[in-house]
Amino acid sequence: MGPRTKALVAAGAGITVGIAGLALSTLPAGADDDPVLPAIGAEELVTSALAARAPAFSGVAEMQNELGLPAVPGTEALDFESVRVFHDGEESARVQVEREASELTFVKGSDEAWAYDSREHSAKRFTWDEADAAAARGHAEAELADPSEAAAEIIERLRPTSDIAVDGTARVADRAAYELVLTPKPTEKTLLREITIAVDEETRVPLRFDVFANGRSEPVLSLGFVEFEVGAQDADLFEFTPPEGAEVETTEADDAVGSARDAKGRDDVGQYASTVGEGWDTVVIGEAPDDLPTEAAVEDGQDLGGILAQVGQPVTGEFGTGTHVQVAVGGAVVTDDGRIAAGAVPRQVLVDALDTDGAVQQ
Amino acid sequence: MTTQGPVAARGAAVQGRAAAPDADAVPPEASPVRRRAPIGRLLRAEVRWIFRRPRTLAVLGLLVLLPVITGVAVDLTLDGATAAPVDAGPGGAPGAGGGPPIFVTMATSAFVLPLGSLMTLLMLLLPLTVAMAAGDALAGEQSHGALRGWLLAPVSRGRLLLVKTVGVLVVALVAAGLVVTSGLVTGFLLAGTDGLVSMSGTELSVGGVLWRLAVAVAWATIYLMAVGAVALAISASTEHPMLVVVGVLGGLIVSVVLMQIPALDWLHPYLLPSSLTSLVDLIRDPVSFDGLVEGAFRAVCYLVIGLSVAYARLTTRDG
Repeated sequence: MGPRTKALVAAGAGITVGIAGLALSTLPAGADDDPVLPAIGAEELVTSALAARAPAFSGVAEMQNELGLPAVPGTEALDFESVRVFHDGEESARVQVEREASELTFVKGSDEAWAYDSREHSAKRFTWDEADAAAARGHAEAELADPSEAAAEIIERLRPTSDIAVDGTARVADRAAYELVLTPKPTEKTLLREITIAVDEETRVPLRFDVFANGRSEPVLSLGFVEFEVGAQDADLFEFTPPEGAEVETTEADDAVGSARDAKGRDDVGQYASTVGEGWDTVVIGEAPDDLPTEAAVEDGQDLGGILAQVGQPVTGEFGTGTHVQVAVGGAVVTDDGRIAAGAVPRQVLVDALDTDGAVQQ
Repeated sequence: MTTQGPVAARGAAVQGRAAAPDADAVPPEASPVRRRAPIGRLLRAEVRWIFRRPRTLAVLGLLVLLPVITGVAVDLTLDGATAAPVDAGPGGAPGAGGGPPIFVTMATSAFVLPLGSLMTLLMLLLPLTVAMAAGDALAGEQSHGALRGWLLAPVSRGRLLLVKTVGVLVVALVAAGLVVTSGLVTGFLLAGTDGLVSMSGTELSVGGVLWRLAVAVAWATIYLMAVGAVALAISASTEHPMLVVVGVLGGLIVSVVLMQIPALDWLHPYLLPSSLTSLVDLIRDPVSFDGLVEGAFRAVCYLVIGLSVAYARLTTRDG
């Protein structure tokens, strides 16, 4: 082989190997065929999924968000790309919501929970006497970010108002799973078409959920594991000590229990937000945060009121007046007195919800 | 960043160095068995030459200085108005549109300062350093005739490339190590062991910080070697060292521009700078290595391409 041929071979081989390697890393993982699993009834699958206790595992989940939701208080937890989840198989869990240059960390132990935000360098502590549901509600954000918890929550909440079926199988994070499909009953006033939830065959832990809206073939919201590994986790992961200098705020679960369900039909889900309705046509009503300019405030030459007027349409009702903004899966009404109502529902349902909420408050 | 003075002397010396192995061995013409020049000696000579260049020392000095300046500046600003200065550092990650850069909290800690400085400098100045070394290694020596000595000496082209590659590797390692060390020392002086906190809110021991920084230096070296390999490929194809630096920096700038275009997201995994954001994962606890491993793999792909092209160009080059 002459030096020239040798050079050509070397260059050709090197370039081929290098580009093949680069292409390899772009391939989506787990593009295998759907697994073959024993048939299972929808009811049996739902029951076992709700009863399932998460084993000790670690996982990485990714989120795809095409909702185009306006910034409703309490939905900040949806603003992320990937999340790491650790479970000890008992009561403890750790959820790390990874943002580009910061992180939200939730650590839940048997008698307390912590939420740490690196952007603010602040830690929130939740304590409770008995590990009850109200305590879990206190850090609902953490559950939203963990696909297994979030999907179980979806099943539980939407079960009474849905037609449920098992639609084949899927492979999620390289694990065999059943596809559960929840379709809203005809009486539900929602803009959503269906929600599919992949339930792990072995552990019955929900691994992924996809939300589909009417008239769209791609899911508008998808949260699912891309890595899921069952195995014992390091106990240190489930303990949290706030770092020096961090702002610490403590919330007793008893307070939360006191304020939650303070009135019939009005169920506190967070500091700002409450919900009206049940199932698919649930409407979340929140207060616009104080730092958000609501009335013709000018910031950087942008007038929020003006923007709302451009993208939305005015609505009126018993609650007063406001602006309705339509997004992919639903809509939101921003009232002139600074409240926001949002849900996967048509406009009239939002208006009705605001009326109901106003009546309850008085 | 060119120096005119020592060029001639250097050229002569390089020729002398290349011939040196023959001096104490049998001259190649005299013996049918060609003695191979000992590789260790070649490497030592190469490294000595690199670090004797004033421009190498100048850029390394700059790399040491920048973390100090960043640390002191942020420290002074933070003292002035607490928590107000959001744009304290020159950007934590490329295209960090969402949150403020990681500089905001604990900006001067012995953990965030070295990592943040490394991330910032990896965008341009560190690649520039490596490209400069690679440009001098082949194109530079060719331009004043010093490479001829190498090509005539009993050193195979493969070994020549090896020596030059190791030279660039040493520059990459030293440059990345200096940035991190300088940041670490500055951080310790400014904040002591305060603020050694991960983004997940866990306090880290000094040992925990040190191994994370060591991983960062190793990873940065691999990344810089990918840049260096491409630079060597250009360097083997031209005799203008300027062209190497321009080519490498131009390529990086174009890559960063392409990364800003969402319509080209299928292309992004092929672009070297898209690995850079994964260094942030070292500040998380536990560290997630997925992004770092992917970035290192991408860098190795570039390394293979660059070195094979450099080898091909070098073997077909006439003395």
